[in-house]
Amino acid sequence: MPEIRLENITKRFGKSVAVDNLTMTINDGEFISLLGPSGCGKTTTLRMIAGLETPTEGEIYIDNVCVFSSQKGIDISPDKRNVGFLFQNYALWPHMTVYKNISFGLENMKWDKEKIHERVIELVKMLKIEEYIERYPSELSGGQQQRVAIARTLSTGPKILFMDEPLSNLDAKLRMEMRTELKRLHLETKSTFVYVTHDQLEAMTLSTKICLLKEGLLQQYQPPLEVYRNPANFFVADFVGSPNINIVEMIGNIVNVDDVKLTNPSLNLIFTPTSKVVSISENQELLLGIRPEDIIIGEEGSFDAEVYSTLPSGMETIVKVKINDIILTCVVFGDVDFKVGRQIKISFESSKYVLFDKQSEIQLSSGKLS
Amino acid sequence: MTYRNRLKMYFKKPHNVILTLLFVILIYLTVVPMITIIIDTFTVHQSELMRIKGSKVGSFTLYHWTKVLFSSISEKMFYQPLFNTIIVALGTCLVAILIGGTVAWLITRTDMKYKSVISTLFIFPYIMPSWTLAMAWLNFFKNPLVGGAPGLFTVLTGVETANWFAYGQFPIIMVLGLHYAPFAYILIGGILRNMDANLEEAALLMKASRARIMRKITIPIVLPALLSTFLLVFSSAMSAFAVPAFLGTPVRYQVLTTQMYRTLNGLNPGYGYIMALIMIIIGILILSMNQRIIGKRKTFTTITGKSSNIALIKLRNGRLLVSLLVLISTLLVCIVPLISFAVESFIVEPGNYALSNFSSIFWIGSGSPEIANGEPGILRNPSILLGLINSVKLAVVVSLVAGTVGILTGYSISKARGTKLASIVNNLAFFPYLMPSMAFGAIYLSMFAVRRGFIPPMYGTFALLVIVGSVKYLPFASRASIGAMHQLSGEIEEAASIQGIPWIKRMVKIIVPIQKASFISGYLLPFISCMRELSLFILLVTPATRILTTMLFQYNEKGWSQYANAINLLIVFFVVGSNLLVNRVTGASIDKGIGGN
Repeated sequence: MPEIRLENITKRFGKSVAVDNLTMTINDGEFISLLGPSGCGKTTTLRMIAGLETPTEGEIYIDNVCVFSSQKGIDISPDKRNVGFLFQNYALWPHMTVYKNISFGLENMKWDKEKIHERVIELVKMLKIEEYIERYPSELSGGQQQRVAIARTLSTGPKILFMDEPLSNLDAKLRMEMRTELKRLHLETKSTFVYVTHDQLEAMTLSTKICLLKEGLLQQYQPPLEVYRNPANFFVADFVGSPNINIVEMIGNIVNVDDVKLTNPSLNLIFTPTSKVVSISENQELLLGIRPEDIIIGEEGSFDAEVYSTLPSGMETIVKVKINDIILTCVVFGDVDFKVGRQIKISFESSKYVLFDKQSEIQLSSGKLS
Repeated sequence: MTYRNRLKMYFKKPHNVILTLLFVILIYLTVVPMITIIIDTFTVHQSELMRIKGSKVGSFTLYHWTKVLFSSISEKMFYQPLFNTIIVALGTCLVAILIGGTVAWLITRTDMKYKSVISTLFIFPYIMPSWTLAMAWLNFFKNPLVGGAPGLFTVLTGVETANWFAYGQFPIIMVLGLHYAPFAYILIGGILRNMDANLEEAALLMKASRARIMRKITIPIVLPALLSTFLLVFSSAMSAFAVPAFLGTPVRYQVLTTQMYRTLNGLNPGYGYIMALIMIIIGILILSMNQRIIGKRKTFTTITGKSSNIALIKLRNGRLLVSLLVLISTLLVCIVPLISFAVESFIVEPGNYALSNFSSIFWIGSGSPEIANGEPGILRNPSILLGLINSVKLAVVVSLVAGTVGILTGYSISKARGTKLASIVNNLAFFPYLMPSMAFGAIYLSMFAVRRGFIPPMYGTFALLVIVGSVKYLPFASRASIGAMHQLSGEIEEAASIQGIPWIKRMVKIIVPIQKASFISGYLLPFISCMRELSLFILLVTPATRILTTMLFQYNEKGWSQYANAINLLIVFFVVGSNLLVNRVTGASIDKGIGGN
């Protein structure tokens, strides 16, 4: 069963480092998202695994076979790695019909005509594009082109499927639809999916594991909810989640043996760690992360606040509240609205607030606030 | 990674193999000749033994340089022609940009009538050989100064044309200007068409007048293209040979190219090589200036938008007048010369346009001793037939070689974009464009006249003509191909390579079919350029390898203008015909290759 292993992969373009000493294992049947801002090396990583790009250093194994090694001088060409690749702009061949686009790779593998025909029909049925087989790509909508591209990629039956931001050219509605289809496809084909995206929501909703990269360095490689709830550092916390996590700069001091007293001109809190013991020096600069849904707005609560702005969307309302000089973003579920300027109370009742060291940006612990 | 492994991986990619091969070949065919020619300016040649006392062939000498630059004859031999060259080139730019720019503006920005006819016909002078208009000028305006018959104009009006009008500087500038006007039209028109009309409309909404918009918005935006046109036309006009040779020689008006032809063909090849070198240096200077301008102002030239819905300027009452004026002048420049060739080629005694004087002997006559040494008519003349076959053969082979190498160059350069080797090869492939044709021919003459390593002396062979033509026209093909490849996302090919489709099949089945039109222009441009090329080949042909253009030149020098006219008609027919044919069949067109849209 195919398992992908990257060992100390580094890719340099001239002097700039695109991917820096990346080591990771992708297990069989997983749906991995490579996530990060543009230029973080995620596409480069994907292309290196697929064999479209040559790493500067390191080794890559697919199914325990070394497909690339800089030391041993191994570089197996992409077509011998038994992988499929779905490109961002689909890369359909504009001069071939849908049928031809799908069958071209099979013809090259010297399949006989009937078998090819069978396979193409099977794929177009699966992707619901039967009626378009004689059309040219330019005569199809974006969503249909995407389906053709998927059919073409699947045609040769790869065990591993690479996708490079395949949904970024679609409109919002279609994107939702295709997400569902991709997830279903993952289950149906039982293949390993490696998916590149800069859209954290896409990564969250689709993948079994997220690999978050920043400037070529691996930040965190864990299941989506773990990344969301237990971010390894400030960057991860800030990148994942919409609306963004609230970050408040605090000065920290240990009190009552384990607790941390957090002070800020506008807000004073006690942080009780629940995941690990926090050890900090006196008056250490810290960052407190509060997810918007972890702030409770109501008539009752421990802190006074004023409604600063509201963004009701029906299902939820994003409310910004002002506590002295700090503005916090909160989410209230349901079709509620608040009048701007209204005085309200807020409280922190979750146990999932996270504390980071300001200098190193590393997570110190998650815990409760009081 | 070991050195060996890295090399192995590097050459696993087809584009790296192609790049490396191109690098080696192009160094040999462009840089080495450059060095040869520099050495040649410092050595004693066979024919110079008498003048350089006590010297041996091949020994070092400063004789050529001192003679050309600092002697009593330099004024007449070098400085005056250099000055003339610069005047002619500047004048040509002025005429070309004024005419080409005006027509481009009229077509893209006004509601002028007959746009499609004009835009098709207007390209003609550029497709036709440059001397076409020069010969037409002579047919119309020649005066008895050089002996022989007067031109049509004198015959029709009885007015004898002045010397300055018939020969020398003025007609050379006019003819070259008209020849390069389409070039300006294509470049400026391309920018005007691509320019976002919103820029002008935004100004219009702010209540700026049309004239102000033109001055403050349109012209500044078009300026880089204008400058670039200026420099390209300047360098082309500078290296023009046929037109000054036709129009300047009767009054001994010399430019560098004609002077170079005389010295290289005569007893002073060393002088000629110096002039060639100086022209190459000027060419390189001009084009590096051009590259700098384009590089700096890139943001301007790449502005694109939808100008299709721009509000065209209404010419109102002047509409019909302007339209007719432009149409008629276009016809005058494109069609009338052809008619004049046809007429001239049927006239037995030049200057006598009486019907009784018309005859088809120059076309199908078997030749009589009292006319042109008994030369038979061109359609049954074996030597002209040989020339025609050679011309077509040469153009076909050159276009196949240049076009194919051009596609591979464009492919590998765009695949290896950003690497040092790619940018070196890119420059090497463009280098021949900088060299004036005559100088390029001179270089190859100097380089391949003798045995070089395992390569036998090639002077007088057909292969030499093919090589020189292919290298000279490679820039056309590689430009067209680089442009096409840049438009093609790399993923299109990767999608195939990941499915295991081999390189050859990827090229033949995917890349080439998608960018068919651009690639065909990459074949078409060398073909047409080769069919009408004179100065590149004139130093290299021998009787066995003669081609139509060089024969035309010889007939003209002998004063057998009827043959020259007939041959010219033949060449124009072939060039325009093949252009139209390719255009019709494939949709590729010549202006696509030079940067138009």
